[in-house]
Amino acid sequence: MVEEINEQLIEDDFDAVVIGAGNGGLIAAAQLAIEGAKVILCEQHNLPGGFATSFVRGRFEFEGALHELCDFGPETNKGSIRRLFEDDIEINVDFVEISEAFRLIINDPNEKLDVVVPFGREKFINMMEREVPGSKDSIIDYIRLSQEITEAINYITESEGNPDKDILIKNYKNFLKTAPYTLDQVNDALKIPKRAQDILNAYWCYIGIPSNRINFTFYAAMHYYFLIRKAYIPKYRSHGYIAALESKIREKGGKILYNSKVNKIIVENGQVMGIETTKGDKIQTKHIISNASPTLVYNNLIYPKNEIPSRALKNMNARRHAISCFVVYLGLNASVEELGITNYSYHIYDSSDTEEIYESFKTLNPPKAQATICLNNAIPDCSPQGTCILSITAFFLPEAWKSVNPEDYFNLKNRIARHLINTFEFATKTSIREHIEEIEIATPQTLARYTGTFGGSAYGYETDPWDSFMPRLMAMNDEKYVKGLEFCGGFSANCQSYTNALLSGQIAAFLTLQQLKEKGDPQ
Amino acid sequence: MNKEKEIDFKISVKGNIRDLLAFKNLASVRKKHIDKAPEDFIKFDPVNNLANQLHPSKQNLVISEIKDETKSAKTFKFIADPDSNTKKLAYFRAGQFLSLKVEVDDIPITRPYSISSSPSDALKGFYEITIRKEENGFLTSFIWENWKVGTKIESSGPNGYFYYDPLRDSREIMCIAGGSGITPFRSFAKEIMEGKLNITLTVLYGSSEEDDILFYDEFKDYEKRYPEKIKIINILSCEEVNLPDCEQGFMTAQLIEKYCKLDNSSFFICGPQIMYDFIDKELEKFSLPMKRIRKEVFGEIKDVVNIPNFPKKIAEKTFKIKVSIGNVLKEIPANAFESILVAMERAKLAPPSICRSGKCGFCRSVLISGDIFINPNSDGRRAADKIMNYFHPCSSYPMSNLEIEVPRSV
Repeated sequence: MVEEINEQLIEDDFDAVVIGAGNGGLIAAAQLAIEGAKVILCEQHNLPGGFATSFVRGRFEFEGALHELCDFGPETNKGSIRRLFEDDIEINVDFVEISEAFRLIINDPNEKLDVVVPFGREKFINMMEREVPGSKDSIIDYIRLSQEITEAINYITESEGNPDKDILIKNYKNFLKTAPYTLDQVNDALKIPKRAQDILNAYWCYIGIPSNRINFTFYAAMHYYFLIRKAYIPKYRSHGYIAALESKIREKGGKILYNSKVNKIIVENGQVMGIETTKGDKIQTKHIISNASPTLVYNNLIYPKNEIPSRALKNMNARRHAISCFVVYLGLNASVEELGITNYSYHIYDSSDTEEIYESFKTLNPPKAQATICLNNAIPDCSPQGTCILSITAFFLPEAWKSVNPEDYFNLKNRIARHLINTFEFATKTSIREHIEEIEIATPQTLARYTGTFGGSAYGYETDPWDSFMPRLMAMNDEKYVKGLEFCGGFSANCQSYTNALLSGQIAAFLTLQQLKEKGDPQ
Repeated sequence: MNKEKEIDFKISVKGNIRDLLAFKNLASVRKKHIDKAPEDFIKFDPVNNLANQLHPSKQNLVISEIKDETKSAKTFKFIADPDSNTKKLAYFRAGQFLSLKVEVDDIPITRPYSISSSPSDALKGFYEITIRKEENGFLTSFIWENWKVGTKIESSGPNGYFYYDPLRDSREIMCIAGGSGITPFRSFAKEIMEGKLNITLTVLYGSSEEDDILFYDEFKDYEKRYPEKIKIINILSCEEVNLPDCEQGFMTAQLIEKYCKLDNSSFFICGPQIMYDFIDKELEKFSLPMKRIRKEVFGEIKDVVNIPNFPKKIAEKTFKIKVSIGNVLKEIPANAFESILVAMERAKLAPPSICRSGKCGFCRSVLISGDIFINPNSDGRRAADKIMNYFHPCSSYPMSNLEIEVPRSV
């Protein structure tokens, strides 16, 4: 029998190997295949997508991770992701527009808040003025600044990372002057009232660090795209576009290996030479795009060990792994109308103090924040008639889970889930507990199980001002430690989020194609 | 917005010059952060470590004890193979199963078996699995002949969703078991007696003959020791019943009603396929909400040709399947009445599989060309996969010659 299994092993040359079939890895492999490169994609799991996935329990198909896809945009005002999917990769996938950004509820009786935050520049400004009279001018400044930031980022991207300093100073001075600072610092400089900042900052849990550490540039760009292009989600969950990408890679001649974990990246004199998998595949290549994080690559994969540059180890140790998620997926046997669940997205916080809530992510105490999605309020027929799907997401830093034993694990999951359900019921005055037909709970361990990411981290490295989008971009060339090795995904220079991870895959593919062309191939 | 305002808008955070300097210094600030970091390797990640303990991709086991339960059933006790990398057995939830990998006549196949020991037994170092010998069973005949104390078996981690969830289920559990379907409930019962599962268990257990009843003495003993928590009712379909406290006949709605608080119980059902067909009709009479009924997957369908939509005229046919798996492209024969998974196993392609019931998706593959039949009751595919021609070979049957791409097994 051993012979038959060995026959299935791959021992061949490829133009490029992509490690990991997450958002970034799939786009990278698809783009390379489209350009005619001989590419192989190795994935340790039996399914593509990484966090971008779905799963079936009973009569429900749950979305694994996505809440809102940023910068997709309508057909008449295409955002970067719609252009990437429709124009560059040419996949045809149904997306659905989300009607409003989210409903923000703060439970602390001293600062009680319950407000629906709309998309659209004018609607947003009006809502802010209504909630916090006198905030209008500062909010207009905030949006103006955010717009300049997105224009500056577009300019920098178009200049392929070599922007003209004079043009930056002439056209994008406000961008330059805010890029080194935090969300709090710039919002204070804009004289935005505290109460208005509480509403403005509500996306903070999607960045995963408190507002006194979030880099303003990163936050403002994301927020601006949400305001002007709204948010979208794929009709058939994340797996809908993931399966389309998978099919595209095959259609263009790319090869995909599942259940195949890369355990060695072979390096000789600082140059990538190939990879090996735990199954025993031996593949020669000069070009690798890794969707696995720099931490996993430098700490575990580079072989032999003396090829690991010490600077790369310093780099990975300087950075902090961002938060992981805890998700309670509920299939409910009543409709949204029957249950009184009126919104698609809920951000429910115990308080507006983002630092206090972030600190609570370090413990296993009841979560003080949740981001909850009711899929049926965007896609009414996503579950059978008379049912609906609710998913409640809370956050933890990896360290919170360090002393959990297998025998305590299931009860712990249950205890946290119970609290999250109670909090949702209390905040929205609904009753869902009696209607649970299916329940599944994902923890940092679940995320680690399916992706191998260190600490189960879902958001890449934390994006403090020193390690946010701009400094990462400025350091991209200096921090290339191994020739032929590019990174994509949430840990790459593009930073976290579905949108950035997807775009990072294309950037990594273009960089690799450039190097292939310089050498005279691909064939 | 006011156009004039847009033009005039100039921000200053810490002062014009200081802000621009701060931008200029971004790179050097970053460099300083990296300079002061240590050069050490990260030796341990507790999150991935726990994930691996809970969900190992494989466990190497060895049989340490075999016990005859009835004339046709044995309990196999497994411990971690000391010669392997498996040092600890994965913890699980009562009701879950293991997928065992067995090589029969050089053909590697898998079978899911419910764990009949308690979760805490796994922490003590063992799992028990109870198997009933099937008449003319291809695999069980092999097991009866070949499995001895010391035989090494490769297993998956614990799998499946047939467990009690306190947020979803009633604390009063009505178990309906047939044949070897009693095995997961033994695990439930043991966990109740250990004080770790706060539920009550009423087991309606159907057998065809008295000496087919599994764990008869054990469950009677559990009932005696925990009368408030555990109750067993044996139901025998044979004509002559001598054992005390048994019901004679079938698991009818009438019988269920006799032992069950209908409006306040969660039903957990595990047994052979024919029992499901029967029970479904009986339970329909009560119009219970779906959340009150949970069924264990029962493996591959035994008589796919009898499913209403199955194209009977091709039932006897054999087709050719071109399979691409890893570096291999091979054409194999496949019977219309057997799953594509079985055809690939026969051809020694060692395809991946776990639940063999269409649900877990571990065998997910690409249908490049040809037509397949999928049993609508075991179609656990994602919506997008249905649209884009992905399928689960364990619950799919060839209706023409096919071309498919299949992932290699772990």
